[in-house]
Amino acid sequence: MSMQSLHIARGEHKHLLIYYTANESAQWDIVQEADSQLTIHLFALDDDPEIRSDIRLTVRQAGEHAETYIYGIGLLTGTQQASVLTHVVHEQPYGISRQLLKFIVKDEAQGSFIGELIVAPHAQHADAQQTNRNIVLSPKAMMHTQPQLEIYADDVKCSHGATTGQLDESALFYMQQRGLDAATARQLLLTAFFHEVLTTIGNEAIEERMRKKIAALLQGEK
Amino acid sequence: MNTILDIRNLHASINGKEILKGINLTIGEGEIHAVMGPNGAGKSTLSAVLTGHPAYTVTEGEVIFRGKNLLEMPAEVRAREGLFLSFQYPVEIPGVSMTNFMRAAVNAKREHEGQPALSATEFLKLMRAKRALVELDTKLQNRSVNEGFSGGEKKRNEIFQMAMLEPTLAILDETDSGLDIDALRIVAEGVNKLHTPQNAAIVITHYQRLLDYIVPDFVHILADGQIIRTGDKSLALMLEEKGYAELVKR
Ligand SMILES: Nc1ncnc2c1ncn2[C@@H]1O[C@H](COP(=O)(O)OP(=O)(O)OP(=O)(O)O)[C@@H](O)[C@H]1O
Ligand SMILES: [Mg+2]
Repeated sequence: MSMQSLHIARGEHKHLLIYYTANESAQWDIVQEADSQLTIHLFALDDDPEIRSDIRLTVRQAGEHAETYIYGIGLLTGTQQASVLTHVVHEQPYGISRQLLKFIVKDEAQGSFIGELIVAPHAQHADAQQTNRNIVLSPKAMMHTQPQLEIYADDVKCSHGATTGQLDESALFYMQQRGLDAATARQLLLTAFFHEVLTTIGNEAIEERMRKKIAALLQGEK
Repeated sequence: MNTILDIRNLHASINGKEILKGINLTIGEGEIHAVMGPNGAGKSTLSAVLTGHPAYTVTEGEVIFRGKNLLEMPAEVRAREGLFLSFQYPVEIPGVSMTNFMRAAVNAKREHEGQPALSATEFLKLMRAKRALVELDTKLQNRSVNEGFSGGEKKRNEIFQMAMLEPTLAILDETDSGLDIDALRIVAEGVNKLHTPQNAAIVITHYQRLLDYIVPDFVHILADGQIIRTGDKSLALMLEEKGYAELVKR
């Protein structure tokens, strides 16, 4: 497992784009100083069926008013296995953290998201949200999700939600009733599922590239 | 006069429970048929079966749509052949924009008919014209399909889509529910403008009020999976007065 350390200085804004590629395991240790802003986008959109990857992100908000945004998209196919662990620690007051991770698993792929969120006793007025949404497309595909919140401060705003479901059949029928064939309707729905994450990238060229990758991976989806 | 839809002894069930118990109905060009009936009678089930919803099983009977066996076609082909359902409960589709959705739908139908896809300009022009027909708020077309639309906006959006697709047979499943008085008039006038001597509509409703605007040629009462009575528009007026109780018990 490769280790990466990162220190984000007071007031600094940092945007990290992390692309999973085959057999990558990486641990990121990130420390944020006061008033710093960190945005991470994780993409697991590789077509190599042998992928085995494991990404662990540890983020410590070591100063007041730090902001952490973690977004992730995973579209796992074939026999891919990918796991993401986030470990976000609010150590100081007035920290903000947002996590939005979405996975689609198909074929015999296995995905895992473990979200550890810790608000230390001293970190009053923390504002933390963690959301994980997943769609499992085949009976042999699997998604493991495990939110883990430890809140030791009392004046905080924290929320988390994790759901794993199937494709919305009523939406699928609605689209077919308007003349879209099942494959096109499924593609549109699945791409739409990632839409709210894609729009956070804030770079149209990258957003477009990711949309193309998603469309290619969903090609022939029935 | 040509027949658009011919339903013969249609039986259908869901989860092994029979809901439609022998429906017979013939719809000709230029006709408007109102279907009324108590809650749970099978009105929405009939819409779902005709449009090819996968949850229902047809156990008996046949349906001919414009000379073809409707029940053999996948749902999307039925739509492209000119069958449209304004849903009782329109579905929200987050992340899919109204514009993209409609472009895909219109072009799927055009391709089916052997016509070239519309250019971006042509398409936007069409959207504008059809939007005006039902006075649909411009803002709604930039949003995701039905997402966060009010009940009335959803219904209006259904008729907008109908206008875009110009179906041969439109089934309006309680399109009036959720519409305020002005919206009801606007939507009904929109439906009337779309009505031609070549197409037809099935209007499912609980209320005479809608039928004051969209005047039916026939009124059918559906109860417990069968059409128990057919009449002209005066049947709806009589119902409004007396309710179903008397009719159903016979
Ligand atoms: N999945 C299901 N399993 C069993 N019964 C069902 C199922 N779905 C619908 N039904 C039943 O089918 C019957 C007909 O329902 P339908 O929605 O067609 O009625 P409707 O005439 O449209 O009523 P409303 O006027 O209330 O809209 C109802 O009794 C309903 O409970
Ligand atoms: Mg109904």
